[in-house]
Amino acid sequence: MIELHRVWKIYSVGPVKVPALSDVSFRVGKGEFVTLCGPSGAGKTTLLRLLYRDDVPTEGEVEVLHQDVGSLTRVEVAALRRSIGIVFQDSKLLPGRTVYENVAFVLRVLGTPRREITGRVFDALRAVGLSARAQAYPAQLSAGEAQRAALARAIARKPLLLIADEPTGNLDEGMAAEVIEIVRDIWAGGATVLFATHQATLAATLKQRTLTIHSGRLVKDEG
Amino acid sequence: MFGFLLGEALRDLRRAGRVAISAILLITLSLAALGAFWLLSSNMSEAVTQFRERVKLVVYLRREPGTAEASALVDRVRTMPGVGAVRYVGKAEALGTLRQVLGKDAAVADTLPQNPLPASLEITPTAEGATLEGARALVTRLTALPETDEIGGGVEWMERFAQGQRLLWLFALGVGAVLAVAAILTVTTATTLVLHARRDEMEIMRLVGAPEHVVRLPLLLQGMMQGLLGAMLAIWVLVACYALIGPRIEPLVSETLGVARLTFLRPHNVISLMLAGTLLGGVGGWLARGRPEA
Ligand SMILES: Nc1ncnc2c1ncn2[C@@H]1O[C@H](COP(=O)(O)OP(=O)(O)OP(=O)(O)O)[C@@H](O)[C@H]1O
Ligand SMILES: [Mg+2]
Repeated sequence: MIELHRVWKIYSVGPVKVPALSDVSFRVGKGEFVTLCGPSGAGKTTLLRLLYRDDVPTEGEVEVLHQDVGSLTRVEVAALRRSIGIVFQDSKLLPGRTVYENVAFVLRVLGTPRREITGRVFDALRAVGLSARAQAYPAQLSAGEAQRAALARAIARKPLLLIADEPTGNLDEGMAAEVIEIVRDIWAGGATVLFATHQATLAATLKQRTLTIHSGRLVKDEG
Repeated sequence: MFGFLLGEALRDLRRAGRVAISAILLITLSLAALGAFWLLSSNMSEAVTQFRERVKLVVYLRREPGTAEASALVDRVRTMPGVGAVRYVGKAEALGTLRQVLGKDAAVADTLPQNPLPASLEITPTAEGATLEGARALVTRLTALPETDEIGGGVEWMERFAQGQRLLWLFALGVGAVLAVAAILTVTTATTLVLHARRDEMEIMRLVGAPEHVVRLPLLLQGMMQGLLGAMLAIWVLVACYALIGPRIEPLVSETLGVARLTFLRPHNVISLMLAGTLLGGVGGWLARGRPEA
């Protein structure tokens, strides 16, 4: 499903070179639930962005869904992204649109038939327990609601691979647990899940395979 | 899908606000100017055509021929290229016409010792015969006739009129082009603003794997909408001007140009203007499209 081979990512900030990822290699099989754990600045977001080709590695190969991500054309990148559901760390909800519209927007953009949209949006909102807030704008949502709205948008397309970048980022324990339950349900439905968090305790309670990164290095792969 | 893209484009148009409005007004201005010249020019062509139909050459004859001789001459002239109709006018008929023209002063004609008017042939040229070259060739041929004394009438002034019309068109195209460039630039600015306001949408679209044309089409469409709106406004302005000014200048026009009624643009002209507007807006939208997305 996912394979990284000796991946380096070095950002150049002026003359300074910042290695965000150093020689990272691992594989994730189909149907796995993998937690990506590491403190702030470890390189989690950087790693995830390589998977959907939001960025390219400085060195090394990235393979996702049996495709060498580095060699894809623009059209192929779009096709790859269509099979991946992404929850962005900064949620990227469109402020001018309601929760319903935010989820529907992505479906419409990808050419989902009109008559299917309402049903699928509400299926996704029900899955994250947000049906009642469908008409709310992002600014009117609590942090937890916003995370769940972003999650709903990612799962509405029933992706093969779900990439969630700190979906529990600024939530209290109870809310975080709720979000994790939702992600688990999606995983139980057959999706492969890659879940990033900086909370080591949270990773421990998940009792799943955990990749730990520290300053851009993969230091532990256990579970 | 198209409905959705159109909806997105409309949303963008609202966001571009005042700049979009000035873009629309500039397109209105340039197309209204173009349309006004078009209107003027098509009415001038109408005048030229009507003059062509009415233009006549008069061949004054050296002496009055006998009846048989006259009809033979008419037959001979009628076969010449460029000649449509030929009518023989005898000396007596010419004098009769003069009397009619003089009206109550007709008595003056009776004081003449003898009929001074020559016999003549009134020639109506065919369409080819009424052009500048056609008329020249015809005049040469008619001058060569042994019976010809002198030739009256001509088409040169009419050609000058047509030339003026062409000049007007050139001027119109120049003014139209300058305005069109301004309009395109304004649409581009408006679209760049839209692009800025829309970058969140475009980012999310790209990140979820939307095809590039879906990402970009709304921008192009909102540009085209600006153009189409501008064109429709321009046509409305032209209709209003036609309705308001037309009746006032019609008497003047019919006196000087001989055109009884001013005609408005034909449906195909109106459609051309709308297409031109849509195209202008589309080009503006397209130009902005390549700007940095970040
Ligand atoms: N576009 C960039 N340009 C320069 N440096 C960057 C860029 N993006 C990230 N970095 C650096 O790369 C390192 C890893 O950043 P990254 O965002 O991947 O961390 P993270 O593990 O996601 O952290 P967090 O838990 O805070 O989200 C950081 O030191 C960061 O400053
Ligand atoms: Mg991060």
